Amino acid sequence: MAKKFDVSKMKEKLAEKKNGFEKTVTELKANGFKKNAHDFWYGKPHTAEPGGRRLGELYEDKTGLLKHREWRGVKDTLYYMYMIWGYNYVHMITDILKYSNNPIDFIKGTWRYRWMGQTYLPVIHWFERGLQGTRGEAMRASAWHYRAMVSASIQQICNFFNADTRLHNGAENDAYKHSIYANETTCGTLFYPFMDEGYKYIPIEMIPYFVTCHVNSHTVLNYIDAVQSIGLPGDPCPMCQAEAGIFVLDDVPDASPIVITCNEACDASVSTSTLQDWFADKPLFALPIPMQFDDPLVKKYCMKEIEEMWKFIEDQTGAKFSWDSMVKRLERQNKLQRDEWEKWEVASKTNYYPINGVAQALFRIFSTQYGIQGDFWEEASEKVKKIMYKCVEKKINPFPQTRHRVIAWSCAPLYFSNWCTWAYNCWGLNVIINMDSLMFDMEIRTDSYENMLEDVVQYHMWAPMRRMAVGGMHHIFELWDYQKKFNCDMVAMYDQLQCKGMQGVHGLFEDEFRKRNIKAFWLPHALPDSRTVSRAEIRRQINDYMSTVMHEEPLDPSLLDFDDSMTW
Amino acid sequence: MKKCKCRIAKFFLKFLGIFFLANVALFVVFFFDLDGKLMFNVVEPFLKKHYDNMERKDTLKAPYEMNKFPKYDYET
Repeated sequence: MAKKFDVSKMKEKLAEKKNGFEKTVTELKANGFKKNAHDFWYGKPHTAEPGGRRLGELYEDKTGLLKHREWRGVKDTLYYMYMIWGYNYVHMITDILKYSNNPIDFIKGTWRYRWMGQTYLPVIHWFERGLQGTRGEAMRASAWHYRAMVSASIQQICNFFNADTRLHNGAENDAYKHSIYANETTCGTLFYPFMDEGYKYIPIEMIPYFVTCHVNSHTVLNYIDAVQSIGLPGDPCPMCQAEAGIFVLDDVPDASPIVITCNEACDASVSTSTLQDWFADKPLFALPIPMQFDDPLVKKYCMKEIEEMWKFIEDQTGAKFSWDSMVKRLERQNKLQRDEWEKWEVASKTNYYPINGVAQALFRIFSTQYGIQGDFWEEASEKVKKIMYKCVEKKINPFPQTRHRVIAWSCAPLYFSNWCTWAYNCWGLNVIINMDSLMFDMEIRTDSYENMLEDVVQYHMWAPMRRMAVGGMHHIFELWDYQKKFNCDMVAMYDQLQCKGMQGVHGLFEDEFRKRNIKAFWLPHALPDSRTVSRAEIRRQINDYMSTVMHEEPLDPSLLDFDDSMTW
Repeated sequence: MKKCKCRIAKFFLKFLGIFFLANVALFVVFFFDLDGKLMFNVVEPFLKKHYDNMERKDTLKAPYEMNKFPKYDYET
């Protein structure tokens, strides 16, 4: 049935627009020529004083769409328009042409898979949410991290669609035979030995689940509901639920002859693996990530498991383990790690680090997990280093309104990973570093097979959500060392309400915060499920802490409370 | 020669005019988030409807044959 045209609603909207326009005219008249010219050239200042920018006023009610984009001053607005918005739209197309064997497959895949069509079209809005309010070097550098992530995502999507038998009338083509499906927390590093022969590691859930939650948080809800509809209770980790739900809804491309699963960080994921074994119906190798990874015997056991997995791949695909292929990529990975240490040195000791909290966390977890399968990480890293050294040399503080240097700990809300951007804009909370960035804090030796294996195993065991989340008290409490190292005066403590492991140590943290007199606030969430704790509720918790405990005033009061319940 | 120069100048001006107008149009789309509004209000609802109505395999009907594949144990 056609929608009825609502005249009264239209009139209301027009009146609202008229009011807004009149308000702007009055404001411009009151400001005077000098202030208006300054605001036009440089953008409004980031201050609570009258005449400061009010980013909250840019949002449309509920949808979170922008009435109009922020005016960042002439130079930054044009940079954003051409070099971020336009540049990324163009490069999304060139990336498809670069990685796809046939761009028609890309269109067919978009039509076939919900996680693709519903999620990746609004990707530029994801940039907008993460970069809002940033100016100058912070905007430029953080956008390069986003660009690399988009490029890596498009590569993975193309890898899916190039090989998917469903898009090729059931044919198992060459791309299919050269794909290795593995759970998303089974790091890409493990598959380097086969890449010279053209084999590709495809993390099954990284694109259909993990990245979708960041870009469009609506999509994942279909998968959570799907798995609950077959009888799974609602209280296990929603990540595991969603990952199984993709299979229940038959939304996983058939793009590889084999599957490698793992227990991710917890027992809920073991159930996911069982469901995946059922629905994928392929030769499957279960590669566990051990809980007690400090135990040398466990490490030895895990080394054997990894070697068995390599044998499984050789056995099933005919590929041969190549030492050269492994070393070549490990050395590139090590270089990326050294670059990161260089950046952390600046982040920890100065105010010149130009990457914002969300761009730091996502780039790092994505790049360390996916591994070296293209040059996008290295390109972005080089560009960011260049901008960073410019900041150091010219003493540019990219986040000049920083009131607190924050370290974010535990697992972040995927549907509101850009809370850091909001927190800086609203309260001056600058998230310098986070747990996700620090998990794979190591180089891998390439001088001998034995050393390589020992380090690769360590890297594998330090998986996301394992090392410093459910990996034992010693590692959870590495927080204190990193807080000191990065010179942070505040802790943002994520509180994943459905993670039984981390819920168990909630009280220990409370005790330690008191004992050590650390300023800390809790940030409740349910990983991908925005229905359990809304973004507005997360903001309210931080607002309460900042006003009632810290007795501070917001830098931008328009961001304190707004309704974005329907936003991506 | 003069005519030729005039034609080149006209072409150049025309090119500049089109370039300018294209940039203005692009700026309007960018500044007023028209791409976002199009995705949110038109493209996403259309695609959602498509995905909701899609015929899907009932995965639960697939048998779970636990012994279909061998146990992959290797000596290393």
